[in-house]
Amino acid sequence: MTGQPAGHFTFDGKSVPLRPGQSLAAALTEAGLRSFRQTAKGATRGIFCGMGVCQDCLVTVNGAPNRRACMTPAVAGQDIRTQVPFPDLATAPNPQPAAPARVIAPDLLIVGGGAGGLSAAIAARRAGASVTILDERKVGGGQYFKQSAVSGPLDAQQSAGADLLAQALAAGAELIGEVEIWGAFDGLLFLAEHKGAALIARPRAAIIATGAYERPEIRPGWTLPGVMTTGAAQTLWRSYRTLPGKRVALVGSGPLNLQVGLELAQGGAEVVMIAERGPAPWLRPIAAAALALSGPALAWTGLRSLADLRKRGVPVRHGAALDRIDAAEGALRVTLMGDLSPVIADAVLMNAGFDPQNEILRLLGAEAIYDPAFGHLRITRDDTCATTVPGLYAVGDCAGLGGAPAAMAEGRIAGRAAAAALGFGDGYDTFADQRQLGRARRFQRHLWALHDVAPRLPDVPDDTLICRCEEIDAGQIRAGLGEKPGHAGTLKRATRVGMGRCQGRYCGPVAARLVAAATGTPVQDRSYFAPRVPIKPVAISAILAAEEALKDAP
Amino acid sequence: MHPDVLVIGAGITGMMAALHLSDGGARVTMVDAGENAGTWANAGSLHVQMQSRFMRLYPDQVPAVEASLPLYKAAAEEWVRLDTLYGPFELVRKGGLMLAEGAEQLRFLEAKAQRETARGLSVELLDRPALDRIAPWLGPQIVGAELCHDEGKLNPLIANARLLAVLGQRGIATLRDRILAISQDKGGITVQGQSASYRADQVIVASAWGAGHMVQGLGVTIPTRAEPLHMNITEAAAVSISHLIQHAERSITLKQLGQGQIVIGGGWPALDRGRSMPPGVLAASFLGNVALAARLVPQIGGLRVIRTWAGMNTTADGGSTIGRLPQAQGVVMALPGDAGYTLGPLVGRMAAQVALGAQPDADMARFAPARFAA
Ligand SMILES: Cc1cc2nc3c(=O)[nH]c(=O)nc-3n(C[C@H](O)[C@H](O)[C@H](O)COP(=O)(O)OP(=O)(O)OC[C@H]3O[C@@H](n4cnc5c(N)ncnc54)[C@H](O)[C@@H]3O)c2cc1C
Ligand SMILES: Cc1cc2nc3c(=O)[nH]c(=O)nc-3n(C[C@H](O)[C@H](O)[C@H](O)COP(=O)(O)OP(=O)(O)OC[C@H]3O[C@@H](n4cnc5c(N)ncnc54)[C@H](O)[C@@H]3O)c2cc1C
Ligand code: FES
Repeated sequence: MTGQPAGHFTFDGKSVPLRPGQSLAAALTEAGLRSFRQTAKGATRGIFCGMGVCQDCLVTVNGAPNRRACMTPAVAGQDIRTQVPFPDLATAPNPQPAAPARVIAPDLLIVGGGAGGLSAAIAARRAGASVTILDERKVGGGQYFKQSAVSGPLDAQQSAGADLLAQALAAGAELIGEVEIWGAFDGLLFLAEHKGAALIARPRAAIIATGAYERPEIRPGWTLPGVMTTGAAQTLWRSYRTLPGKRVALVGSGPLNLQVGLELAQGGAEVVMIAERGPAPWLRPIAAAALALSGPALAWTGLRSLADLRKRGVPVRHGAALDRIDAAEGALRVTLMGDLSPVIADAVLMNAGFDPQNEILRLLGAEAIYDPAFGHLRITRDDTCATTVPGLYAVGDCAGLGGAPAAMAEGRIAGRAAAAALGFGDGYDTFADQRQLGRARRFQRHLWALHDVAPRLPDVPDDTLICRCEEIDAGQIRAGLGEKPGHAGTLKRATRVGMGRCQGRYCGPVAARLVAAATGTPVQDRSYFAPRVPIKPVAISAILAAEEALKDAP
Repeated sequence: MHPDVLVIGAGITGMMAALHLSDGGARVTMVDAGENAGTWANAGSLHVQMQSRFMRLYPDQVPAVEASLPLYKAAAEEWVRLDTLYGPFELVRKGGLMLAEGAEQLRFLEAKAQRETARGLSVELLDRPALDRIAPWLGPQIVGAELCHDEGKLNPLIANARLLAVLGQRGIATLRDRILAISQDKGGITVQGQSASYRADQVIVASAWGAGHMVQGLGVTIPTRAEPLHMNITEAAAVSISHLIQHAERSITLKQLGQGQIVIGGGWPALDRGRSMPPGVLAASFLGNVALAARLVPQIGGLRVIRTWAGMNTTADGGSTIGRLPQAQGVVMALPGDAGYTLGPLVGRMAAQVALGAQPDADMARFAPARFAA
């Protein structure tokens, strides 16, 4: 691991070293600490999603409760404590806004500075529109380019991202990091929290490029500390040069597991197993050939990682699905379905596909259609990526999974179209981008056909948790289904499934599918929990600050 | 002969009417459109003292509310009874505090407290030192409060689920239909729904905002209106707030649930999005409501709001409407007045008693539908 400790903070009184740029979650993981919070029912939790979504990595920072360790930079001298389920308000410091609220009104607001958002910014800015990009992360680049937050050499993916970021800034786009959008209202009013202060945006048009988050394997043991998404481990490694653990197992389906397995093996982790639900590509020669034809370079990269993994002696098991994970011998025991020889790992990484972060779009009323192959909603868009809401565009994975190359092509198309609609540039011929987009989408279709990310109804024992936050298990949900709820919202009110801090990011799609199956109706747009502000939990002090800033405004 | 009663509206009022009818030996069925029931959106505050928000918004309706104060007190006691029988619903009755931020507001509360004492409520005025003993976490600008000992709070999700299960055990079915009109003939009542037509000896109308339209042709014009409102809820904290908190002049209710979350509401408007969708949350309401809460109870500033929701409240003339329609004696109205979740069980029970031919223990003339005679 690179870099010297830049100081120490304490965790429950014990000293923990940190390196510059590390998140609290990374520094704690590096120190071998996995349990960050206690739940109301006495379980412990740690980092899970690594991207601010699951709210399971909460810690108390200098007396302030419920801070996400994965999104909070580690700073020397911090007093970090295990988060208790019911913090005492009387002893918590009452946060004062760090700065006065800021109100911005760019021509075009872009939410999300990943592959799609940055590409959109460059196109719109070059056409002459003023552009502000907001991103929750400290550094832009998004999930594909995952910029490093600590100093160290960049890999090829990271240098391409650094390049795109530089282009966006050179074009004159403003990028504000550490901004969490929590509210979106009709007429395009966006409310956000920026380092404890309020940020208010009233753009003329907006492009949403918030990407996707990972779909987990909902199996017994999936909430244990040390079990995290594959992307969380990738962020630990690529952004913070921290390994998720010494011995690592990966489960689920999709190309990310292979890629991250290889990255971690190269980084010095012992990858004890990669279990892929899908059959081996050599058993599906036609599908594999179709993939190779649709994107020879990318397909080749994929095959090379498989060969590389084999060379390193990493067991890659195709057609293998996770059964359960148990705490054992200070580590985790991973058992596959129909398998009698479990493996022991320090960290279990799971990825079984992706779900779009479409909350802002749905909140603003953008229409969407369910895609049964991927098991998620696709936002209805015209060929300029405009949604059904005037002035609102959607690009990249938030509109439905498409991958980074498609996100970039969509960004260029939408950036140009949004600028033209505002009177900047002529939205000139997008033929080349449309063609690239077509190719990227074809590749994605063939790619996922080789994996198995079909959404499942959870076939788990009654005591397996479905809702991480409220700790609602499959038995409680089955009992709730017995009352014949007509909608996921009814099941929610009856069982509390989805009522916690992550707002149903993981259990919500499951509840929608279960209710649809029980009522014999197809899943559709309205099957999901109703979208509501705030789309992410927001501190009351930040709401107070926003109210003060908007009070006197018209 | 058992009367055969159809209850229209399966919110808290209709459910409790059906339960009492069934306990009274009647064969009863409910019918509900499954749209925007206040019962599934409400916040579970047990209101007894007059709400200042209401007094300000609908000054013309204050006399009706004041006259029915004893009903509110009895309604809170009805909830305690249900909690003992079918609970626990996390019901806590530590009283409700109505806060004053200045001398003038305190005088308003003083006058209000006198009127409420005259109606049999248990209220007292607290100065700041007295407040500090029970609610030290209030903002420094609070000079005093009125404490109404009759008030309390419960968890409506738990209460609704438990009561629904009790109805299930009694075998009381709920049909899903939208009722368009009601008519009476010699043999009984015909209820016209969108998908079917129903016959019953008697009908109880407990359809809240949908009631006025339904009984239009029966000699009354009841001005029921749907009022979209929204609520906010935070993540959990150690329980330190045991009272229901309100304000002498501004719209706010704040309370802490047994599981630690803080629920903030108080009648801030939401956006009506028609029948098939729940109301939307407005930026100004969300910001205004939560900011006000943070000013009154500064220590919640570090907690996060995790969710909002919105639903349909019902307003008419402030008072409850309970009893037979003058021109259609087989139709019994069951419409709670302001703070309908508090009143719902009692109003439902009284309507059921009327339908069963008994005389509820209250001044029924005050609630008579005849006051809306067309
Ligand atoms: C965890 C993860 C790991 C991945 N790893 C790989 C990989 O290694 N290789 C590969 O080919 N593909 C990978 N993918 C897929 C690939 O990243 C995407 O296809 C691609 O990044 C899509 O680009 P995008 O612009 O749509 O979204 P992203 O690149 O994900 O960018 C979205 C941005 O929006 C920001 N954001 C989201 N919500 C908010 C909010 N409310 N407020 C402010 N900012 C917000 C995020 O911080 C993020 O920077 C991964 C995806 C995920 C989720
Ligand atoms: C956000 C919010 C918070 C609230 N908080 C509180 C509180 O803390 N304390 C309190 O006391 N009160 C509160 N209220 C008010 C309270 O919720 C309602 O007054 C109460 O639930 C009314 O109960 P009900 O059974 O009479 O009517 P509802 O619960 O509104 O039910 C009416 C039913 O009638 C049905 N219906 C309507 N028209 C038709 C038709 N044509 N055909 C068939 N069915 C029909 C509807 O589908 C619905 O199910 C709140 C209201 C809201 C919206
Ligand atoms: S790990 Fe921090 S929010 Fe999920």
